[in-house]
Amino acid sequence: MAATEVTETPAPVVAPDAGKRRSLTGYVLILPAAVWLGLFFVVPFYSLLANSLFDPNGSVLTGYKVTYHFANFWHALSDYHGPLLRSLWYAGVATAICLVIGYVLAYAIAMKAGRWKNVLLVLVVAPFFTSFLLRTLSWKLILGDNGWVVNTLQAVHVLGSNGRLLATPVAVIAGITYNFLPFMVLPIYASLEKVDGRLIEAAGDLYASPIRAFGKVTLPLSMPGVVGGTLLTFIPAAGDYINAALLGSPNQRMVGNVIQDLFTTTGDYAAAGALSVILMVIILALVVFYVRKSGTEELL
Amino acid sequence: MSQVPSPAAGGTSEGRDLELTQLTKEFASFTAVKSLDLVVPQGSFFALLGPSGCGKTTTLRMVAGLEQPTSGTIALGGHDITRTKPYRRPINTVFQNYALFPHLTIFENVAFGLKRRGVKQTHPQVQEILQLTELTEQAAKKPAQLSGGQQQRVALARALINRPEVLLLDEPLGALDLKLRRAMQLELKRIQTEVGLTFVHVTHDQEEAMTMADTIAVMNAGVIEQMGSPAELYDNPRTTFVANFLGQSNLVGGKILGADGDSVVVDMQGTKVSVPRQRAHSTSGAGWVGIRPEKVLVAPQGEEIDAPGNHMRDAVIVDASFIGVSTQYVVKMPWGQEMLAFEQNTGRRGVMAPGTKVDVSWRPEFSFLLDASQDVGAGREDA
Amino acid sequence: MSPEQPARRSAPTRRGVLKGVGAGAFAAASLGVLPLFSTPDRTQNPNTCTTRDLSNVDHSLDVSNWPIYIDQDTKKRQSTMTDFEKRYGINVTYNEDVNDNVEFFGKVVNQLGSCQTTKRDLFVLTDWMAARMIKMGWIQKHDPGSVPNLDKNLLSSLRHVNWDPKREYSAPWQSGFAGIAYNKKLVKQEVRTVDELLTRSDLRGRVTLLAEMPDTMGLVLLSDGKDPSSFSNSDFEQGVEKVKKARDSGQIRAFTGNEYVNDLLAGNVLACFAWSGDVASYSNIEFVVPEEGMMIWSDNMLIPNLAAHKANAEKWINYYYEPAVAAQLAAYVNYVCPVEGAQQAMEKIDKSLVDNPLIFPTPDYLKQTHSFMGMTEPQVRLFEGEFNDVAGA
Repeated sequence: MAATEVTETPAPVVAPDAGKRRSLTGYVLILPAAVWLGLFFVVPFYSLLANSLFDPNGSVLTGYKVTYHFANFWHALSDYHGPLLRSLWYAGVATAICLVIGYVLAYAIAMKAGRWKNVLLVLVVAPFFTSFLLRTLSWKLILGDNGWVVNTLQAVHVLGSNGRLLATPVAVIAGITYNFLPFMVLPIYASLEKVDGRLIEAAGDLYASPIRAFGKVTLPLSMPGVVGGTLLTFIPAAGDYINAALLGSPNQRMVGNVIQDLFTTTGDYAAAGALSVILMVIILALVVFYVRKSGTEELL
Repeated sequence: MSQVPSPAAGGTSEGRDLELTQLTKEFASFTAVKSLDLVVPQGSFFALLGPSGCGKTTTLRMVAGLEQPTSGTIALGGHDITRTKPYRRPINTVFQNYALFPHLTIFENVAFGLKRRGVKQTHPQVQEILQLTELTEQAAKKPAQLSGGQQQRVALARALINRPEVLLLDEPLGALDLKLRRAMQLELKRIQTEVGLTFVHVTHDQEEAMTMADTIAVMNAGVIEQMGSPAELYDNPRTTFVANFLGQSNLVGGKILGADGDSVVVDMQGTKVSVPRQRAHSTSGAGWVGIRPEKVLVAPQGEEIDAPGNHMRDAVIVDASFIGVSTQYVVKMPWGQEMLAFEQNTGRRGVMAPGTKVDVSWRPEFSFLLDASQDVGAGREDA
Repeated sequence: MSPEQPARRSAPTRRGVLKGVGAGAFAAASLGVLPLFSTPDRTQNPNTCTTRDLSNVDHSLDVSNWPIYIDQDTKKRQSTMTDFEKRYGINVTYNEDVNDNVEFFGKVVNQLGSCQTTKRDLFVLTDWMAARMIKMGWIQKHDPGSVPNLDKNLLSSLRHVNWDPKREYSAPWQSGFAGIAYNKKLVKQEVRTVDELLTRSDLRGRVTLLAEMPDTMGLVLLSDGKDPSSFSNSDFEQGVEKVKKARDSGQIRAFTGNEYVNDLLAGNVLACFAWSGDVASYSNIEFVVPEEGMMIWSDNMLIPNLAAHKANAEKWINYYYEPAVAAQLAAYVNYVCPVEGAQQAMEKIDKSLVDNPLIFPTPDYLKQTHSFMGMTEPQVRLFEGEFNDVAGA
């Protein structure tokens, strides 16, 4: 980028009176949003932060006191780095698969579906009409050891006669991919929908083959959707625990499962809080890095 | 790939005309282009003129390869390119909405075509074309930061840089305001003369077409009504559509009496008028006698008319609009028809007020004769 | 890419300094408010956290129990619950909302821990959780003389538990065994020991254990020759290590609640730790008492603090300790019946069940059973934590 482009926007010059009045109106207008954020983000966030700094010797029954026990983070990290890394890995793989499938799907719907567009969109969203849990449970049936998927794969020798899908990383990643696919498809669809078909014609007119036209025009113009979709998929996928719980085995335990167990079963709020904060920080760092890299800072 | 001549080639060698033969495009519910035959000579500035929906844009898109003809062929320099993919045709388009790539800078937009064709060193060529189109300052900006006129020039530069054999312009000036449009018309003409490429320009603006084009094809309802130089079309329209669409015409009903030497004599509402033979497009039965408003001379009753031809008396001025260079009169003829007459404001005479009784006259060699079976109102803008 | 203004870096502007100070102050203030989120001590005293008993004016009763744990009305016979409602004129709201001890604990911890009503008069929880709640002072004693059938008919082997030595707070609803079950159709060779279950290669990846820590760890401790009612921390750790080894080798597919039954029937699971009542009625499934012994447990009826219909709840307990009622219930749920005299009453209901040791265990059968020790709160944390690190999913 040229150095001449870096410019400071000067503060607008306003009469002092007008400024005061306007800023007051502004505050009143953001009040509902501020209250909402305060109630549903700031308070829970502080609560989580407090949890992470609890005295680890407390208990649910006798109470937990905030003792600023920063060692909780270290302990959580050393005890649970396995599930933490596994979560990021599974979420990353699932997001990548979602991106490929989701892009093709969104492209087909936006560009090729014609009058079937709305029907296809409803079909993409349709799984949301049943509960997340039920959908995942039905995958348990589909991927069951004596289900047709496993039987077929065994018949064509992709799986050994004793092979299985349930309770493997494959099942967990497949479950995450399935459950979060709509979050990938919809943003990509929305940005592909906005791509002006005349630009693609123009690219063709300017000697770009359909593949080059896609690479040079369609893909760059759909980047906001791609970035939005990957974030909407990766972030919840990294914290997901349903898929690992229902489709995986203890060997596929993800950080969400650990946190859930620590909060509910063991009642170890200190470790649970610390692990949650660690997960949050890691995801935040990854998101910032990714968005910077992909050149879509305006999303932040 | 190899059959297609390289766009850089062509140059000055003769015979690289664009030739459309029996070109037809049918859509589900209507036929946009009907069996069109057209030759655009190399190096000419060719305009396809017609109202919206006449098939001119469809024709253009077929030439660009963005639309497949239902039948017929398109050939360039003798090569059939009817089925050639758009990205393999040595043809570029300046789109109506410009279709600039919003995510690329002006420089990248302009360099797009060169890059796709594998040109490594794009910088000098891009700089050159940016200079030609006066866009050097804007090179690093994105299209959204540019004014309409600048965007139009980018679209032009982006297409021109490829030195296509044929440059297609689809209503390229439609989005500009009048003043800018005038300036760009001259600019486009200048550039075309400078680079010497074949331009095919689609427009519904007859003034624009006449200003720029060497040859105009007037299209209506999927067919070419008439083709020729702007002056030919204007002076000697062959159909009521052309007569009305290209400028304005007074069309007066009459009965054709027959040929008399080099002219055809018509009984026009009781007055015998003669029309030169080469301007008479009907020789018997009923006909429309056509005369352009600026050729119609008006003078207060009894006063001598400057260049007398056919004289008609007992007409009355119903309306007079003074527009500076000229005054436009609406004159009611004795048989009830209203005619337009434009008079140059030479200063010889003031504006005649409505109600003034006048005599009307025009030189027979300026009039034309059309077949009366045609709709008198075809091609009128207010129709 | 975009050049930083060097001025900004070398000489901090006033605004920059203010920003830094502001951020620092904000962070400090944030840390300062965190203690507000500390959690309270939830110990209560059932003698002071009380309410007026509405049983005499409001003839209703709110019960929370595990799913499929009570008989249903059929054409032939009305259910025990309908009979109870008719006999006492009490309208019972019966909720099957206990799926898991820990999960249920989560549902009520905030109310019970701060002396607020749970809107329930009676719920049913397993020994260790019952012990925990009694210790926290969340559970009320039965009124003296209000449950004569309990005093009279409770099986002697269940009378003395160390967390409620006189059964003043709790009354077993059903008891059960935790042992091994396997699919007879798919497993040719009987699974006789816990070690076989955890190591046999023909079962690899098709084994589930129970997510209920005392049952799974009790069986594992037994297989190590330890006593589940009295063991050391290192005994426990050794057991956890054994489970972890089996898990890491891919032998174990999951740690489950009741849902293992479907997987076992479907063949996804070949063999597992199982609860006797779950599998007693399936001909394909064989329940095995491991050679080293098995675990016995009870689910106990408890009346929480602030129960609005305590007297009605006591009528319920007393009712279900009538032998005939207990027999009818046992015939449906197939768990161990805790009521003396029910075996005789069963003669009239279903003769085939009279001699079923999974419902009416003989003294010899009971000798092979062990119960899990009552845990202190730090022990709960320690053992549940260690277990969850291998078993949590």
